[in-house]
Amino acid sequence: MSWRWFHQWGSPRWFYERAGRWQWVSGWIALILLVVGTLWGLGFAPVDYQQGHSYRIIYLHVPVAFLAQAMYAAMAVCAVVLFVWKMKLADVGIQALAVVGLAFTVLSLVSGAIWGKPTWGTYWVWDARLTSMLILAFLYMGIIGLRAAIADPDQAGKACAILVLVGVVNLPIIKYSVEWWNTLHQPASLKLTEKPAMPASMWVPLLVNIVGYYAAAFYLVFASMRALVLERERRASWVKEVVGRA
Amino acid sequence: MSIERRLIAREIRLLLSRPGDVVKPMWFLMLVISMVPMALAPDSDLLSEIGSAMIWVATLLALLLNTDHLFRDDFNDGVLEQWLFFDRPLAWLVALKLVTHWLFYVVPLILITPVAGLMLSITGNVLGALLVTLMVATPALTCFTALGAALTLGSSRSGMLGVLVMMPLFVPVVILAAGVLIRATDGSEVLPLLALLGAFSVASACLVPLAVAAALRLNIGGSS
Repeated sequence: MSWRWFHQWGSPRWFYERAGRWQWVSGWIALILLVVGTLWGLGFAPVDYQQGHSYRIIYLHVPVAFLAQAMYAAMAVCAVVLFVWKMKLADVGIQALAVVGLAFTVLSLVSGAIWGKPTWGTYWVWDARLTSMLILAFLYMGIIGLRAAIADPDQAGKACAILVLVGVVNLPIIKYSVEWWNTLHQPASLKLTEKPAMPASMWVPLLVNIVGYYAAAFYLVFASMRALVLERERRASWVKEVVGRA
Repeated sequence: MSIERRLIAREIRLLLSRPGDVVKPMWFLMLVISMVPMALAPDSDLLSEIGSAMIWVATLLALLLNTDHLFRDDFNDGVLEQWLFFDRPLAWLVALKLVTHWLFYVVPLILITPVAGLMLSITGNVLGALLVTLMVATPALTCFTALGAALTLGSSRSGMLGVLVMMPLFVPVVILAAGVLIRATDGSEVLPLLALLGAFSVASACLVPLAVAAALRLNIGGSS
C-alpha cells in the first residue's frame, strides 16, 4: 500500500493549495443548500400545530447544535493524529476547529434561548441538553484560552491536545451525569436510527440545511486553517511566492 | 531511603516551612461561608437548605486557589527536571506528589467543613454526608486541578487560567455529590451514588496522573 496519500498531509504547501480547492467547492455547496433549505424551511414548510411558526428556528438550531458536537469530535481526532504522527497540520486543525466549534456552540445556545422564550416562556432553563451545551462552550473556551496563554506555539499545541483528549474522555460522563441530573427537554427531534416524528415536508428541508451547515463548517475550517498555515510558515519561500502571486 | 520515601519526606519539610499554605484555604472557606448569611438572610431554615451546596462550592474554590503552586516551585528550582532522571515513571512520581498534596492540604480543609456546616445550621445525616462526599470526591478534584496547573505551567501568569480550564470537568463530581446530599436530606439510600462517585475518583486517580506527566514533560522539554 502506498503511504503517499498520508505523507503529503505533512506538506503545508500541498495542503494550502489543495484546501483552497476544497474550500471553494464546500463554500458553493453550502451557499446553494443553505439558500434552498432556509427558504424552504422558513417559507414553505407547514406550520407546526403546537408551536406555530416559532418551531422554524430548528432549521438553524438543530444543524448548528449537531456541528457544535461534531467539531469537538473532529478536534479529538486531530489531537490523536498530533500525538501519534506528530503532524503539525493536526495542530492547525485543533486551533481552527476550536474557534469555529465555539462559534457554533454559542450560536446553538443563543438560538435555543430565542426558541425557548415563546415555547417554554423563558430564555433559559437548567435542562440537561442546555447545560451540557453550556459546559461544551466552557471547554472550547478553555482550549482557546490555553493556547493564547502559552507563548511557545509547539508547546501550546501539545498542551491543547492533552486538554482536548481529557475533555473527550470526560464529555460522555458529563453528558450522562447532566442528563441524569435533570431532564425536561423534549426528546431529540431527529435521530439517525429512527424514523423522525415530523412529516417529510418538515424534515426534508431540515436535512438540506444540516448538509448545508456541514459544508459551511468545512468552508470555515479550511479557510481558517489556510490562513493559519500561511501565518505559521511565513518564513518559507513558497509563502512569499503564493502571497506575491495573489 | 527509597525515592518514594525521600519525596514524601521532602514534601513534609516543605509543608512545615510554610504552614500558611495549609491555613489559607481554610481561612478562605470560613470567610466565604460567613458571607453567605450576610448576602442572603440569617434565617436558619433557608441556610440549612442551601448550606451544603454552598460549602461544596466554597471548598471547590478553596481547592482551586491552592493548586497553582503545586508544580510551580518545583519547576522554577529545577526539581521537576531531576524527576526525569529517577528510574521511576514520571506518572508514578506525580501520583505520589498528588497523594501527599491530598493528605496534607486537602484533608485538613475537609476536616473543618463540619464547623462551617454548623454555622449554616446543617446537622445530623447531611453533615455526615457532606464530610463523606468531600472525602470521596476530592481525589478526583485534586487530580484535575493538578492537570490544570501542569498544563498552564508554560505561561507566566497562569493563576486563573488553570481554574477556568479545569472547572468544566468538575461537573460529574459536583452532580453526583449533590445527589448524595439530596438523598441524605430525604433519608433515602445514598450508597449507589456514593459508589459511582468513588468509582469516578478511583478512575481519575489512575488515569489523570498520566496526562499530568505528559503535560509536565512538555514544559520540561520545552525549556531545554
